[in-house]
Amino acid sequence: MTSMTSPLDRRRHLTGLAFITPTMLVIIAILVYPILQSIVLSFGQSSIDGAEPYQFVGLKHYAALAGNDRFWNSLWVTLTFTAISIPLELAMGIGLAVLLNEHFRFKGIARLAVLFPWALPTALNTLMWRWMYNTDYGLFNAAALQSGIVDRPINWLGDETLAMMSMVVVAVWKTSSFMALIILAGLQSIPRDLYEAGRMDGMTRWQEFREITLPLLKGPILVALIVRSMDALRTFELPFNLTDGGPVTATESLSLYAYKVIFDFIEFNYGAAIVVVQFLVIFAMSLLYILTLRNKD
Amino acid sequence: MKFTISALATAAALTALPSFAQDLVLSIGSRGYGPAVERNIERYTAENPDVSIEWNKVSDVPGETRKLYVTGLTAKSPTPDIYAVDVIWAGEFAQRGWLEPLNGLLADDTIAAFNPSLLAASTVDDKVHALPLYADGIHFFYRSDLLEKYGLDVPQTWEEVLAASQTITEGEGNPQLYGFVSMWAKIEGLFMNWLAFTNGNGGGFYDADGNVAVNSPANIEATQFMVDLLHEHRMTPDSILNARPDDARTLFQQGRAAFLMVQDFVHAPLSADNSPVAGKFDFTRVPYFEGHEDANSTTMGGWFLGINPNSENKEAAADFLSFFTAEDQQLTAAVEDNRAPTISAVYDNEAMGSNEVLAKFGANYDFGVVRPSAGSGAKYPRVSEIMQLEITNALHRQKTVEEALNDAQKQLDALLSD
Repeated sequence: MTSMTSPLDRRRHLTGLAFITPTMLVIIAILVYPILQSIVLSFGQSSIDGAEPYQFVGLKHYAALAGNDRFWNSLWVTLTFTAISIPLELAMGIGLAVLLNEHFRFKGIARLAVLFPWALPTALNTLMWRWMYNTDYGLFNAAALQSGIVDRPINWLGDETLAMMSMVVVAVWKTSSFMALIILAGLQSIPRDLYEAGRMDGMTRWQEFREITLPLLKGPILVALIVRSMDALRTFELPFNLTDGGPVTATESLSLYAYKVIFDFIEFNYGAAIVVVQFLVIFAMSLLYILTLRNKD
Repeated sequence: MKFTISALATAAALTALPSFAQDLVLSIGSRGYGPAVERNIERYTAENPDVSIEWNKVSDVPGETRKLYVTGLTAKSPTPDIYAVDVIWAGEFAQRGWLEPLNGLLADDTIAAFNPSLLAASTVDDKVHALPLYADGIHFFYRSDLLEKYGLDVPQTWEEVLAASQTITEGEGNPQLYGFVSMWAKIEGLFMNWLAFTNGNGGGFYDADGNVAVNSPANIEATQFMVDLLHEHRMTPDSILNARPDDARTLFQQGRAAFLMVQDFVHAPLSADNSPVAGKFDFTRVPYFEGHEDANSTTMGGWFLGINPNSENKEAAADFLSFFTAEDQQLTAAVEDNRAPTISAVYDNEAMGSNEVLAKFGANYDFGVVRPSAGSGAKYPRVSEIMQLEITNALHRQKTVEEALNDAQKQLDALLSD
């Protein structure tokens, strides 16, 4: 610690600070400030244009949320969606990454192609899928009807269970490649000699995967899981464009419900309370991942 | 130095004034009033060459436009100067201070020319906050060729609609052909549909004393009919539960439905030259249930034009607004585009007689019913949301009709007494 006081170290310290400051200011402006503002709003009653001054109301909005079935439903929808889609994305992502890590012709093209769904904006992807799911003109029903599997069109987005499944399919299709990309980077950093050593010891391909690849992928998997779970827990464009939260409220995520409260009903404070709850859920989920994956070491 | 700068600034402001002060931005969609908007802007700028008007074409999906307005208005944006509001928002926006009061900006005579019951929708604290631009409503469109083929009369009651649907779909034997399509997605149009069905059965949002009574026996019966039309009689496609007005219109236009119930804007695309059903369809008043021939079952809508209180050119905006909504412009829009006028005097003009379509729309409006937006003001979006959600619950058979409407009644009582 005493070395910190040497003039050279102090100068380095200051230079470091000078480099960090602009970034920190941007982060404070676009991340910290809105979060704090949401928390303040959620404990008060005010109008956004300032016509009604801010009044502290304590936990009033949170108490109302506790008795609001629609809020619990949207929390449940969000958690269900995350719990189903993330494991599927992870499995697909690892599979794709292992495949793309092999040597084969047109590897470059294959890697690009896999990234394609992820590179397109979610809103566009979703609209495309909505057409394919369309009950009367959609691709899926045309195929199902013509092949004689069904005799009446399936209402993909109009049935509670099917709508959730349809949403998961779009999410998995779109984001598995993102998982694959991060995991592929991890795969490429695993030294080849480990596999050679394994082969000397007579390991099978499956054992190699279990004993070498997976443990060394823990870091990249953790990153991919946290980033994707955060995305899934705040999913908005997907249900907004695919189902508008329907049928009834079967696919209404927390973000979509908060959006409706804020922009349809113009209740900023109540909406802020929903956003704060969502923030806490995401925070808790991230902590959980970090702790479980770290403790195994 | 200071003097020079401020003098320069003043000079710059003065020279800039003539070109900038008269720029107006008008926000309105293109579906409802499209051809008339362009025509009115041309007419106005021909008379006022120093004014330039920018038409900001907003979405034709009212919910999306509303969100755009809410964002801009809460941020006190000075644009647009003039904007179109759905009749159901007029009271709410006026209450929130998002519409400039027009008394004082416009001559009293100008305002008094409009239909008073329409003006009531935008009147808050005895001040008119927006002028009605046109009225519309939902109508019952039918395939005249199919009715003729099976020797059927135009159905007037829902019982006749059901019987005719069955005759036609059985006779045609085409699994791709449905009896009835409409907009039953969880949107405002679903609530309009429900009001048409329930009012057609002698029910409605209010009872005879003006109390909210959405769970009345007449309403339960009418809602059950909607559920049965879908699940028991299979007269509608399952996709009706996701259908917005244009989805329903598309099915009907492609010859896949015998009956269609949506707003009157579909008349133009349905009768266009390249439309497969052009010349094969007609429309009539929204049906009623047997024994309720006087029912007001035509759910009405309409659009208003108002001025943004943060506009920097309120006076210029008011001048343009009064020109845009004036008798001459309304007459052309009526005769050429079937837009129902909001100034009663327009109906007396001889030129009106030449438009049979509008005359039929107008006859249906005699059986008009409005949504409960005036009574619920700023709470209307939540009223509509409660109704949309509970009607959807019933249509999806998540709840029985009675449970759904009882739940709606409970939530409305709590909301409106608050």
